[in-house]
Amino acid sequence: MPVIVMASPKGGVGKSTCAVLLASEFARMSADVTVLDCDPNKSLTRWASHGLPAGVTLKSEIGRSEIVPTIRSADGDGKIVIVDLEGVASQLVSRAISQADLVIVPMQPTALDAEIGSEALALVREEEEALGRSIRHAVVLTKTSAAVRSRVQKELEEQLRGAGIDVIEPSLVARAAFSELFAYGGDLTAMMNDPEMMTGGKVDKALINAQAFAEAVYERLK
Amino acid sequence: MSGSNRLAGLKARPKDTTIEEVRRVDEVGEARGFLDRTPRKKPGRKPSPRTYQLHPKVFPRVGEAIAAEAERLGITQGQLIELMWEKYEG
Repeated sequence: MPVIVMASPKGGVGKSTCAVLLASEFARMSADVTVLDCDPNKSLTRWASHGLPAGVTLKSEIGRSEIVPTIRSADGDGKIVIVDLEGVASQLVSRAISQADLVIVPMQPTALDAEIGSEALALVREEEEALGRSIRHAVVLTKTSAAVRSRVQKELEEQLRGAGIDVIEPSLVARAAFSELFAYGGDLTAMMNDPEMMTGGKVDKALINAQAFAEAVYERLK
Repeated sequence: MSGSNRLAGLKARPKDTTIEEVRRVDEVGEARGFLDRTPRKKPGRKPSPRTYQLHPKVFPRVGEAIAAEAERLGITQGQLIELMWEKYEG
């Protein structure tokens, strides 16, 4: 089963959010999902501490020397493996990329994110060359505006596509429900159905966005 | 995207992960600034595990009783011995 790696040497771009959304959506499709939290900030571990959706298993505190064997052992179990990496340029990142069936590079539509995120894209291409096999990779724009597609976003998408980089549609819109997942745990469906959970945004819109994102990722794994 | 498990049909591509391949990946990463950033361990000798032994010549049952009493009083064994010494001198 496939290994999906969230990679960007920049922090705060939405790697953990993408990992949580994909894990919950794939689990909702009855898949066994193993999530590897390799980020010292332990965002996924914090999310899991409030309750994991059914079908999702979390492994945390995975370092540089454990990343390859951990991915391989989880992969061998017939599970979908989702790896959330730290937001720094480290060997842990380069090793995880080498084990990926799909590398997702989340990027906010800003010049800084694009510049730093492009380092991950360049690394993937260099690893492909060094290993003599292709590693599928794609960019997803995150924290985009729900109302308008900004000029910067349009330009960035054009530049990425012009450089032959796969850009996942839809982008992940800035939604309060996405960040609140880390406070409540579980998934968006549970959040929508539980009146106890107070969210500052539209959970239904967030869920539609997350489902469309997971569908777009699924298409790339086929 | 719901219903039957469509994901069951997904396959992973074969990846032969040899030591040589990991070394090559490390080299490629290092050239781009993706370095080993594993936190260094604290230098120096690790503290020995506590044995609660006061002295090799003290019988274990006496040592254990002193340790238990010090713990009950919320003081260290050394502080308890100081109290005992005061009583002895007095």
